[in-house]
Amino acid sequence: MAASQMPMATSLLILLLVMLGGAASSPSGEDLVAELETLRSQSPSGVIHLDDRLVSRFLTSAAAPRPYSLLIFFDAAQLRSKPELHLPHLHSEFALLSASFAAHHHKDDASSSSSSTHRLFFCDVEFGESQHSFALFGVSSLPHARLVPASARSLRDDSIPMDQSDFSRGAESMADFVEAKAKIPLGGPILRPPPISPRQALFLLAALLISAPFLIRRVLAGDTLIHDRRLWMALALFVYFFGVSGTMHNIIRNMPMFLPDRSNPDRLIFFFQGSGMQLGAEGFAVGFLYMVVGLVLAFATHALAGWKSVSAQRGFMLVGMLVAYWAVSKVIYLDNWKTGYSIHAFWPNSWR
Amino acid sequence: MGAKAENGPKPPPPLSSPPPFKALVKLKTKQQELLIRAAALALIYVLAFAIRLFSVLRYESMIHEFDPYFNYRTTLFLTRNGFYEFWNWFDSESWYPLGRIIGGTLYPGLMVTAALIYRALRFLTFAIHIREVCVLTAPFFASNTTLVAYFFGKEIWDAGAGLVAAALIAICPGYISRSVAGSYDNEGVAIFALLFTFYLFVKAVNTGSLAWSLASAFGYFYMVSAWGGYVFIINLIPLYVLVLLVTGRYSMRLYVAYNCMYVLGMLLAMQIRFVGFQHVQSGEHMAAMGVFFLMQVFYFLYWVKDMLNDTKLFQSFLQITLTCAIGVGTLALGIGMASGYISPWTGRFYSLLDPTYAKDHIPIIASVSEHQPTAWSSFMFDFHILLILFPAGLYFCFKRLSDATIFIVMYGLTSMYFASVMVRLILVAAPAVCLISAIAISATIKNLTTLIRKKSKAALTVSSKATSNLKASAKALLDQSLPFQENGAIALLVGAFYLLSRYAIHCTWVTSEAYSSPSIVLAARGAHGGRVIFDDYREAYYWLRQNTPPDAKVMSWWDYGYQITAMGNRTVIVDNNTWNNTHIATVGRAMSSYEHEAYEIMQSLDVDYVLVVFGGLTGYSSDDINKFLWMVRIGGGVFPVIKEPDYLVNGEYRVDKGAAPKMLNCLMYKLSYYRFGEVTTEYGKPAGYDRARGVEIGNKDIKLEYLEEAFTTSNWIIRIYKVKPPKNRW
Repeated sequence: MAASQMPMATSLLILLLVMLGGAASSPSGEDLVAELETLRSQSPSGVIHLDDRLVSRFLTSAAAPRPYSLLIFFDAAQLRSKPELHLPHLHSEFALLSASFAAHHHKDDASSSSSSTHRLFFCDVEFGESQHSFALFGVSSLPHARLVPASARSLRDDSIPMDQSDFSRGAESMADFVEAKAKIPLGGPILRPPPISPRQALFLLAALLISAPFLIRRVLAGDTLIHDRRLWMALALFVYFFGVSGTMHNIIRNMPMFLPDRSNPDRLIFFFQGSGMQLGAEGFAVGFLYMVVGLVLAFATHALAGWKSVSAQRGFMLVGMLVAYWAVSKVIYLDNWKTGYSIHAFWPNSWR
Repeated sequence: MGAKAENGPKPPPPLSSPPPFKALVKLKTKQQELLIRAAALALIYVLAFAIRLFSVLRYESMIHEFDPYFNYRTTLFLTRNGFYEFWNWFDSESWYPLGRIIGGTLYPGLMVTAALIYRALRFLTFAIHIREVCVLTAPFFASNTTLVAYFFGKEIWDAGAGLVAAALIAICPGYISRSVAGSYDNEGVAIFALLFTFYLFVKAVNTGSLAWSLASAFGYFYMVSAWGGYVFIINLIPLYVLVLLVTGRYSMRLYVAYNCMYVLGMLLAMQIRFVGFQHVQSGEHMAAMGVFFLMQVFYFLYWVKDMLNDTKLFQSFLQITLTCAIGVGTLALGIGMASGYISPWTGRFYSLLDPTYAKDHIPIIASVSEHQPTAWSSFMFDFHILLILFPAGLYFCFKRLSDATIFIVMYGLTSMYFASVMVRLILVAAPAVCLISAIAISATIKNLTTLIRKKSKAALTVSSKATSNLKASAKALLDQSLPFQENGAIALLVGAFYLLSRYAIHCTWVTSEAYSSPSIVLAARGAHGGRVIFDDYREAYYWLRQNTPPDAKVMSWWDYGYQITAMGNRTVIVDNNTWNNTHIATVGRAMSSYEHEAYEIMQSLDVDYVLVVFGGLTGYSSDDINKFLWMVRIGGGVFPVIKEPDYLVNGEYRVDKGAAPKMLNCLMYKLSYYRFGEVTTEYGKPAGYDRARGVEIGNKDIKLEYLEEAFTTSNWIIRIYKVKPPKNRW
């Protein structure tokens, strides 16, 4: 086919040619594969962006035993801002999987003699511009990804949707899905970019070594920040706050700051009932309450004592006492509410 | 004594009211104070023991939970066969067919301690069973911990703070959770050892005496022999020393204390076989060694400084030396790591520093409920007002910085961080939180009472001068506002005592309701409000002991391994030691396979009986069906044929009609729900209604082909199946 053998510069051109080609006659499988490979090479992560025309070209109008299978990620620009869907995150994981897949199967493609079942292409479809494709697949909720096997005739019935659990662990679980359903092994681990590149690490190391003598000198002279006890104090309070507000819990469990109320979408839930779980904002609120009493005490003994006006001292002292009382009672009330325990004293039987 | 020295002729501390002590008026004030303090301490000692006896009173004197059964079994062996047999014991009854070298894979401190107490009691002609000793070891050591807390508090602040700290730690729920009677576990002894080591070390740093640092080395040795948590000590102390060095607090006292403690402690710790050469080979211990060498560099530098009089020359010498030293140290560490001589950090340690590590990489750590991260309510539950007083205590410590308060602040903060990563480490934080809060309480109350007591100004100025510069300015100013000052102080004092009494109520309630259940005997409220006891575990284990051949092998999930060997006296495939992940994964694979596949695995492991825990009839929620996903995960971690999604429906874990087909037919499901479809569990619900999960089960017609039911306990909590012999053998 002439359309596929031409070098293609821009995707616009491709679209045009694809339309022409599609209108003329159905292209052969090998041509479609070559076309897909070109499209893939244009995207840095190897994810091919499909729209209604391309879907029709590569899936609906191509005859059933296709020489490739597609893994399609359904995206929607208007829903990307919804935090509970994690669309941007999942899409980047998908891209990561695509890039890792391409890296591990680089040699297969080069030899080009591998069987057609090993040809898997990663694509994404955007809702705003390809609503027809969404309807074609019967996709009504996101996040959603589908594997279209080579043999699929009906896009809605023969393609395999990815379960919620396959999204759960990001690229790794998506790779498991591909391996289980498409029978195509990833061939290696997911290649995540390192948090610090080797060059940056070297640079940091060099900076450290160069600055070490100067730092040591100042440390020994005793005039650095680390000799300031207020800094240590602030750090200590921060560690305390960090610990008791359950921040580690939020990090490890990836807890959101708050949840929308299921029954009333306008309201937000900040406090989660049930021990052993918490929401982010909840932890910070209570962590702050924990600290209030200590801060009030520090304020009363440190700042308040230096004031001139006695009545102001008394007034603030009273306020301080009330605040401390309020904080303690609030924390205890919240704790009883959350854990459902009702703590009571044990009195001797004769007192009843 | 801090308080006495400071306040001179001072009436007894506020813990007691003066009138009943009129008879003592003949004694001198100092003697009175000593007497009251000793009496208070003695009462606290008894209180710490008594509050931990709820479980014995409510149930009976028995060992709790899972791990304690192993400790009990080994202690029994130790008292019967002596130390050398114990040290060389190869246990063929667990981890069949691998076995386990007990002497080399456990921390013997707890067992040896209990055995010694037992010997001592026998020597004093108290004829008691070793089990009673084991049950009461943890409360006894908790009592001793209060004494250590007193001395520690005295060392870092004053005697009053020590007394308050002792009282707080005696009933702190965070500590009680691991030291109730019957909880015969390493932690019971180890927290005592931990605090004792820290106390001795701080004492050594304060005095610079060789004797104290020697004592702290022995304290460290005891800690190493008792609990794997000694890694916390061997990292906290170097960190502390490093902070002192960095903040310019290097002294000869520190040099003596650390070097003696490190060198001797290391040599002593190597005598524990389980620890062995880790002190020089494992990455977790390298910080201590690095600080040790840094210490020598510091000493050398100070020596050179003494020799050289030219400061300029010394400065440049200093820079070169330190840079070289750090460079060489890093290089040595790098080479050691690369050549494999220094082992990298273990998963558990690593998961403390990078807490998300375990979740992704080590399901066997992540699956344990006590390794979960801590939510704020758990802190409140375990510390109550101590948590609120903690920042205040931090503030006081920073106002009066010394080597000792720096230590307690660092201990408090590091342990607080670790506690927020893992629920069980609240235990390690408990002593520090108690001590720091005690400082806050003691300092506040002391100031308030001096305000009330001293009406004459002269005395007040003396005392406010004496209490260093702590709140001197505050009080001097408050002096001028005399009219309301006394009332205000009384109001604050009443508030403080109200808070403390709430703390006592909270602790008693929590201990009684939450931390005193043995979890081997279950209690529930019956329909009429009465207490119903389920003793199914012991029923099953005694059945095993009496009705199965002595060489029978029992397969169960690893949680129950220790109990089966200790109480049932039968060989198990895996147990709570979890040292061999593959073996555990094999069991997980068998449990999550179809029956015929599982049969092959069980044949290869010579399994005779399979034991499952099932709570569907009683509503007991921590049963095997609820743990099942972890079996799948751990099994799937080694054998990729097991895949978690096969057991889930749309990411949801179900056991009813909508459950995944693989789930409905796997071995665990079949064994748990065998014949359950015929039982009506709740009025108005269909037969086969699972009360633990609140659904009707999906597969009621279960037929077993390769196993047969051998025994089901009276409440169906434990079900034991016999593996049939292979067919057509003859």
